[in-house]
Amino acid sequence: MEIIEKIKTNKSIDKQTEIQKICLDKLQSSPLPNPKSEQWRLSNKSKFSNFLDYSVNEKDPKFDTPFPNTSESTIRLVIGNNCQINLIKENYSIQQVSEDKLVNYIKEQISCFDQNENWSDLLNLSLNCTKNTLGLKINGSEIPPIEIFSHASSNSLNAKTLVIFLEKNCNIDLLQINLGKDNSSLSQSTFFCLEENSSVNHGVVSYGENKSNLLNSLNVIQQKNSEYNLGSLHFKFNYARFEIRIKQSEGNAKTNIKGMQITKKDEQISTYTKIDFHGPNGFLDQINKSLADDKSHAIFEGSIIVPKIAQKTDASQLSRNLLLSNLAQIDTKPQLEIIADDVKCKHGATISQLNEEELFYMQTRGITLSEASKLQLSSYFQEIISFIPVSKDRWDLLDKLLNEN
Amino acid sequence: MQSKMKEPDPILQVENLFASTDNLPILKGVSLTVYPGEIHAIMGRNGCGKSTLSKIIAGHPSYNITNGEIKFSGENINSLEPEERAQSGIFLGFQYPIEIPGVSNLEFLRVSTNARRKFLNKEELDTFDFEELVKEKLELVKMDHAFLSRSVNQGFSGGEKKRNEILQMALLEPKIAILDETDSGLDIDALRIVASGIKKISNSQTGIILITHYQRLLDEIEPNYVHVMADGQIIKTGESDLALELEKKGYEWTDNFIKET
Repeated sequence: MEIIEKIKTNKSIDKQTEIQKICLDKLQSSPLPNPKSEQWRLSNKSKFSNFLDYSVNEKDPKFDTPFPNTSESTIRLVIGNNCQINLIKENYSIQQVSEDKLVNYIKEQISCFDQNENWSDLLNLSLNCTKNTLGLKINGSEIPPIEIFSHASSNSLNAKTLVIFLEKNCNIDLLQINLGKDNSSLSQSTFFCLEENSSVNHGVVSYGENKSNLLNSLNVIQQKNSEYNLGSLHFKFNYARFEIRIKQSEGNAKTNIKGMQITKKDEQISTYTKIDFHGPNGFLDQINKSLADDKSHAIFEGSIIVPKIAQKTDASQLSRNLLLSNLAQIDTKPQLEIIADDVKCKHGATISQLNEEELFYMQTRGITLSEASKLQLSSYFQEIISFIPVSKDRWDLLDKLLNEN
Repeated sequence: MQSKMKEPDPILQVENLFASTDNLPILKGVSLTVYPGEIHAIMGRNGCGKSTLSKIIAGHPSYNITNGEIKFSGENINSLEPEERAQSGIFLGFQYPIEIPGVSNLEFLRVSTNARRKFLNKEELDTFDFEELVKEKLELVKMDHAFLSRSVNQGFSGGEKKRNEILQMALLEPKIAILDETDSGLDIDALRIVASGIKKISNSQTGIILITHYQRLLDEIEPNYVHVMADGQIIKTGESDLALELEKKGYEWTDNFIKET
């Protein structure tokens, strides 16, 4: 109950919103996730408790984004920073969603929440007030790339919520960047609704500083003929969970996911995915890569749910993992739950170390062992990174960050 | 090798080399000396230790030298890392060139070439200058420029992989090149291209060791010496006609030799 008290006694929450009340009610019955449940059993208890250690902070200090916006065409938004946008152009519009619509949509989502599975969202929505919620309605064509930042400031727990409605026949490139400052916890929940014939290339890049924590939850609903492409990268967090829930509500939709997590020191980063097919002819191609060094722990648990209605589903889920140290740990569990009888579904997992023959080959060409390892690792990253919609200058920054780490 | 009058210093000296992997002895006293300008061929049955010898000279970490030494330009290199050997001018052409998905062939070749150039105190090449150099070398092995933009050896045919090895040899300008079954898997035309590339790269200052099973490569590149290996040793050394004799007689006599010794 400690967390409930913490939220309730938070001085900055003067007036609870309707959503906060609903979520707090739900949390009353089980304030913390069940540590024995499938979704939480591998979660490091002391690290998770460290996530909740910081006091809730709704006020954002001035936030300097880590790289300048050099491209005039890119739209940049920082959640919580008095973020306002109302852009109506000839070919497209990006507008903030009315509070009523936002509340109704979130309420609808909460009604389907499972206490354990959606605990991160319940926490996020119970902590969050309207100020740290950004709701966008996007339509039209030739939409410029969008970048959305969320961050947690030092010694505090910050909650940010993003809701995006992508209207019919619309396609966008969206890069979401989650940053954790020193000794901080960030709770980020994102809700995406893709209407018919819409498509999104969604990049999620999350990285922290010393002792930062992250609970990152992503909920996507895809209507028919929509396409959702997700490229994600999580690294440098003391503790991070990335939860992806995608529902193809009518089938006939495409989902491509390429994700990667890098753990070092004693960090724990996990990815949980649940892909739900609720209609026929759904498509999924998913690859998740983990790279674990030192004494760190990387986790992947993925489930694909194919009920009877989802005939002709074509789904593939692959988990590839690299162990760079004898003390590092990797847990991976890709799984299928299939009821429909006319489907094509496959899954697999590999755990390996750096390929010694590749390293030797490079060494015989004069490349040092450390350079050869770097080349091999960057080739391991490349498949994922190239899927993240980032421009050249952002790519250079990512490359630098990855090389430093 | 027979001693020569006033000959230059040898490039490579392998002296009474014993080596093992997982406590299994593979080389049992190999001696071999290569002088500048010489071409040596090593022949022998599968499993006799030919490829192991080449990997040990290149510094493969899976093998332990239990006795003897390898000298390169007069210096003992037993404890040098593979990259140090490569930078100083030892080149190993792989029997099965390794595929490295995701690493661009062009970048791989540039990094390798610059590592060797750095050792030679030559200026390192930027992408633009390297493109000029590689374009010239591609001609030697008749390779298309498109191969450079692909990942190292990925999706290459057997012949293309071998040509890529010779392209690397051309760029690295080694003092000694050990080519492990470079002729295997090549059709006649590809063999000629590869052989012609090797001949153009070699000169009076370089040494070449060809590891092969067949005479057909030696028809294209005539060796000065032919060595026959069996059971981890060089059991016979002769001139180029030894290879023809082997082609006629087969390797049965090597089995008898082992039984007798």
